[in-house]
Amino acid sequence: MTPIEHPARRINLVQGEFRVSDDPQVVFTTILGSCVGACIRDPVRGVGGMNHFLLPGAEAGADARDSERLGVHLMELLVNGLMRQGAHRDRLEAKIFGGARMMRGLSDIGKKNTEFAIQFLKYEGIRVVGGDSGGEQGRRLQFWPVSGRARQSYISSGVESANRASAIQAQRAPVERVAAGEIDLF
Amino acid sequence: MSLASKLEVMVVDDTSVSRMLITESLNEIGINNLALAKDGKQALAALMVKPVHLVISDQNMPGLDGLGLLKALREYKPTARIGFILVTGSPDKSLIERGRTLGLNNFIAKPFNTRAVRAAIEAVVGKLG
Repeated sequence: MTPIEHPARRINLVQGEFRVSDDPQVVFTTILGSCVGACIRDPVRGVGGMNHFLLPGAEAGADARDSERLGVHLMELLVNGLMRQGAHRDRLEAKIFGGARMMRGLSDIGKKNTEFAIQFLKYEGIRVVGGDSGGEQGRRLQFWPVSGRARQSYISSGVESANRASAIQAQRAPVERVAAGEIDLF
Repeated sequence: MSLASKLEVMVVDDTSVSRMLITESLNEIGINNLALAKDGKQALAALMVKPVHLVISDQNMPGLDGLGLLKALREYKPTARIGFILVTGSPDKSLIERGRTLGLNNFIAKPFNTRAVRAAIEAVVGKLG
């Protein structure tokens, strides 16, 4: 029997944003290059959220600690948002996406962002149950906050052709150019 | 002996990375007499037994939040005069105003740096030296 598909309410996130919902019809979407999207959920309460961040210091070699503090702040906003909706910290589980290496030759900003997110979750005792990070392609990410289902497709502007302008454009204009098939990551 | 080295401070935050970041900043300033608590309830229980000079507390915590802790401290005579600095990611006017009526001494907006932490503390206790 085919399950009944409810019409999804799509909410797009851009860099620096986070959203939380317990509505099963909501799906969060975002486009990630070297940025990271953390999808965190309390499966018992049935509430989940996503953020989209880029640590500024990771890019220009600025004050690494200021950058770390901003990252902690952005992760905390998401965790606090979940807890305000009744999530329990000890039940939280996370999926981490993004952190691609969009520009060859420069330091691997994406990797630093991913490492930061993983480290934060480790310190906070939040289990990482899935996700996909690294590589040289941007990602289009969808996350259903109640079920925890995540789906990504790669954007086919790889490192060879990527430059800052195209990376930024990819962030602004979510035109889906699927390199490989969409992958469901439960 | 500088004021910083004499000052006893409790850091209250449910996010362990945030506790660590505040602790790092305090150590940099020269404040090393630190107690840590992971939420308002734990802080209150510890402070009733052993008060400190200053509490630096996060606002968003499960159970007893920052302003809840402040209110409880102000209502109990032995802890009523402890300095209290609130750390918050959303320092909106109404929150700070509510804090002021409860006896909040100062606040630090997240994300913070060591300079902001120092300035907030000095505004409450005076020059750290």
